[in-house]
Amino acid sequence: MEQDFYEITNDPLDVGEIARRIILPECGATVTLDGYVRKFTKGRETEHLVYEAYEPMALKEMEKLIQRAQENFEITNIGIVHRIGRLEIGETSVVISVASPHRRAAFEACEWLIKELKSTVPIWKKEVYADGEVWVEGEA
Amino acid sequence: MKVKVLFFGATADLTRKRQAEIEITEDAVAANVLEQIFAEFPSLVKHHDKKSLLFSINQEYSSGDEKIKEGDELAIFTAVSGG
Repeated sequence: MEQDFYEITNDPLDVGEIARRIILPECGATVTLDGYVRKFTKGRETEHLVYEAYEPMALKEMEKLIQRAQENFEITNIGIVHRIGRLEIGETSVVISVASPHRRAAFEACEWLIKELKSTVPIWKKEVYADGEVWVEGEA
Repeated sequence: MKVKVLFFGATADLTRKRQAEIEITEDAVAANVLEQIFAEFPSLVKHHDKKSLLFSINQEYSSGDEKIKEGDELAIFTAVSGG
């Protein structure tokens, strides 16, 4: 759709602003995922995260995800923004907003989009601990 | 002929490079070039099962049988972990 958007940025994400960008008169609900940096993963304490993207390919993969979601769900608009660079605990790393006439399709599409994003979009996260760091490998 | 290979995250750390240029033969397919990259950068397979590494050609995931052309942009990386 014309109002779909997908972006990668180094700047802090404003969740409300991203969610508001996709609203249309024919929509009745927007479902927004606010993914942020967790302090404890499997009991280990993370100090901060570093995200890195293969940016041109990541944008292409985001575009494909949006096309597939538009084909498979009764939704109107989608916005996906991923932040990269250094992120502190609690900061938003990814926002996915889906607007639709009825909420159920938006919930389902949002869940599908984050699941697919985590296995197809070439972005990697490094967890930095007090005593070391590790690039997290996905489950693809 | 020459192609560019990009590394990200764990593969950039292992090779200590963000990118490299490699010389390949005219009729090379993706799987051949991948083996060549493993030979030139043994640290990649020292730390990872070959099957766990992902490979792309001109920003599209590779199935392994594509023909590689002069100037192609290849990339090799671990399973993605965004979100």
